[in-house]
Amino acid sequence: MRIRRPEPHTLAGAYALDALDGPDRARFERHAARCQECTREVTGLREATARLAAAAAAPPPAALKQALRAETARTRQLPPVPHDSHAAGRARPRLGVHRLGPRRLGLRRLALALGGAAAVAAVTVWVTASPGPSAGPPSSSQEIATVLTAPDAVKLTARVRTGGTATVVMSHHHGMLVFAAAGLRPLPAAQHYELWLIGPGQDQPAGRLPMPSHGMTGPVIASGLRSGDRLGLTVEPAAGTGHPTTPMILELTL
Amino acid sequence: MSPPRSPWAGTPPGADHADLAALLARVAVGDQAAFDAMYDRVAAPVFGTVRRVVRDPGLTEEVTQEVFVEVWRAASRFDASKGSPMAWVATIAHRRAVDRVRSEQRSADRDRRAAAPMIAYDDVAETVADNLDRERVRRCLGTLTDLQREAVTLAYYGGYTYRQVAGLLGVPAGTVSTRMRDGLIRLRDCLGAGR
Repeated sequence: MRIRRPEPHTLAGAYALDALDGPDRARFERHAARCQECTREVTGLREATARLAAAAAAPPPAALKQALRAETARTRQLPPVPHDSHAAGRARPRLGVHRLGPRRLGLRRLALALGGAAAVAAVTVWVTASPGPSAGPPSSSQEIATVLTAPDAVKLTARVRTGGTATVVMSHHHGMLVFAAAGLRPLPAAQHYELWLIGPGQDQPAGRLPMPSHGMTGPVIASGLRSGDRLGLTVEPAAGTGHPTTPMILELTL
Repeated sequence: MSPPRSPWAGTPPGADHADLAALLARVAVGDQAAFDAMYDRVAAPVFGTVRRVVRDPGLTEEVTQEVFVEVWRAASRFDASKGSPMAWVATIAHRRAVDRVRSEQRSADRDRRAAAPMIAYDDVAETVADNLDRERVRRCLGTLTDLQREAVTLAYYGGYTYRQVAGLLGVPAGTVSTRMRDGLIRLRDCLGAGR
């Protein structure tokens, strides 16, 4: 037609600056879905725009953080999605911010269809990002993803008596739970935190927590969850005991 | 209150990226403490950027809040192979701010702003964040040609589309899109950001 449209590729800068409106943006995203080079370029340019954001930094009013607490408390989080767009079956823009409505049913179906394998991408980040001396139980990102995307996944949060907050996501269907904590009291080298599954029968060691990094511990996965189990946390001597030797500093009915 | 620590303060940024990525991963499982820690790290860049684009104080807070709710909701979608966590958050923030401004574009307020576009390059007075950051960005913006710099800052801080920027600068749209790309590439290389 008569309109001299810029080559889609030259719009990578405008796209990274969010300077494309409606149809222009959609057109570029369609192009970028098939153009790896464009995607890579936008990724790089967005590191530059992020610095423009950093340069504009200004402290927000303190009240904002409080207001957010209330908002996040009632906002359901999205499960991970596959990052391989072929797996998704339909075209999914690989760039940009997805407008995500609360399509709970659709997401649930997605989680079901994908099972664990799909969720790995996000989890991988965190497994690799917290290397530590991996003293924790073998925690496979696949398993963590399985729990997080399980249709029956339930999240619990509780305070640890000696300080800190624990978050548990569990799936009875899979008999597994994911445990993470923040702000746990640091322990001397000779001790560690140990998780227990407390059932009608015997207490079952459910894994030793890794060293915290930046105040954050885990996530770790515990399996062998039986119905009626409670989750406990104790401080144990490093040697390992097989049964809890100190009082529970956290006890959760699962 | 201690000043907000910029995620870019005291390069190298690699360690910071890993920290933020680890926080985001915990946010993805609903860890409120991790969310708070992440907020403390990125709230100033997010708030400052949103404010630059939307201007109105009430709207700035509203959009900032939306941005962080989105970060909370979509934390599991962060993919470290597609950029740094700060870039992910900044992209959500900027996109959200720009979209909001455009949806309210017809308001008289917006018209007034369009009549007197601000060139952010010279406007550093009110920001309180890390001086080092701002200085480096400022210095690197200074290495761009005038047209590149104006195109980049009008789009990023002004929230204008490249076609609007073309109108403001009296330059063909195709030229503006090219300058935006060239300018950002130069900026990226000067800042040592990205690859």
